[in-house]
Amino acid sequence: MSLNSSQVKKVMLEIGETVEKNKEFLTELDLAIGDADHGINLTKGFRAVATKLSATETDDIGEIFTLVGMTLVGNVGGASGPLYGTAFMRAGSYAAGKTSLIADDFVGILEAAIGGIKMRGKAEAGDKTMLDALIPALNAFQEALKQGITVHGALTKAVEAALAGVNYTKEIQARKGRASYLGARSIGHQDPGATSTYLMLRTISKAVQTQGQPEK
Amino acid sequence: MVGVVIVSHSLKIAEGAKELASQMTPDRIPLAVAGGTKDGRLGTDAEQVRSAIESVYSDDGIVILYDLGSALMSTELAIEELPAIQQARVAVVHAPLVEGVVTAVVEISLNKNWESIIVTLQEMDFGKAP
Amino acid sequence: MSVKAEVVIKNHSGLHARPAALFIQTANKFKADIVVSSGVKQVNAKSIISVLSLGARGGTQVTIEAEGPDAEQAVKDLVFLLATIDEGE
Repeated sequence: MSLNSSQVKKVMLEIGETVEKNKEFLTELDLAIGDADHGINLTKGFRAVATKLSATETDDIGEIFTLVGMTLVGNVGGASGPLYGTAFMRAGSYAAGKTSLIADDFVGILEAAIGGIKMRGKAEAGDKTMLDALIPALNAFQEALKQGITVHGALTKAVEAALAGVNYTKEIQARKGRASYLGARSIGHQDPGATSTYLMLRTISKAVQTQGQPEK
Repeated sequence: MVGVVIVSHSLKIAEGAKELASQMTPDRIPLAVAGGTKDGRLGTDAEQVRSAIESVYSDDGIVILYDLGSALMSTELAIEELPAIQQARVAVVHAPLVEGVVTAVVEISLNKNWESIIVTLQEMDFGKAP
Repeated sequence: MSVKAEVVIKNHSGLHARPAALFIQTANKFKADIVVSSGVKQVNAKSIISVLSLGARGGTQVTIEAEGPDAEQAVKDLVFLLATIDEGE
């Protein structure tokens, strides 16, 4: 069993719903160390994504991700637009031509997304960004697969690692984005971008657990 | 003639910078703005940046000035979407926005070429790029 | 060869906006290195932001100093410009 294109589309819509549900929460986090628009911006972006996805017939998962990325780029407004936009577009290049995804593809997608965010944001692990949720999630997922844990179990581990990453962002100083202007005063606050990344990964994991078991 | 693109989170800032710079010379300098989101929020939008570039592009070159961090990311994305031949004549400079736009416009009115305008503007960089 | 002259800026708003642009446009026609100073501040006469940073208002006395092959003509033209410039320009 694996995740097919309509399931992928559904997961994208569910990410939008999660973002929307957490709009105030994300914006509040951003109020502390940024410009208080992260939740609002992402909600706007994913609403546009929902509209675009409902108008496309494609079952090429690469095209779906690319469409999501381009829509975010054009509709988010804040830094998360080009960052998530690039992440999804890179994932789109990875998944080009695919009509279903297996566990190994999840690795490929996360690697592509991480590469995109690093390039676009000129950021690295430990800069208090989305990467501090994404990179630990990928590492935990790969480690779990190596240990022979089921894909569902590995996804759970990835989400746990992302959450630990979010908590880690409370302890470190921001080195990228508006929050970096605060210097040491950014310590003590969790990063909104890492938080939204965690929420997305949690949504993906939940969706996979209920929709189907990707093949190893 | 070299063209200028202003990228700001705020359309008012972008248009204000354009207005101020245009006051410096009676010449009509190719100057386009991309500011705010499609629905009027603060922010930047790579699609708008791209159409702003296209609206003033010529082989004489384009210099782009931006305000804050993520405006640079949207600008870089927009440039990546251009044909390679145009990409080679589009430069993002890290000068302060208002001073940079004013300087760019005056330098263009002096008929300076793209390469020398870039050098002049880069000298004004105070380390704003990430 | 170094040439130096003093001049009182004629127009009311001084070396501001278009008059400043006109000033540096004129300065850029010359090969000479040119500096303009007001009080203790001395700046490059070929850079718009530097000239604007001088904040020289109308009625202010400024000093123009040039060094290079065409220094004499440069100072002459710039002095003439500042002594005759009109608000509308």
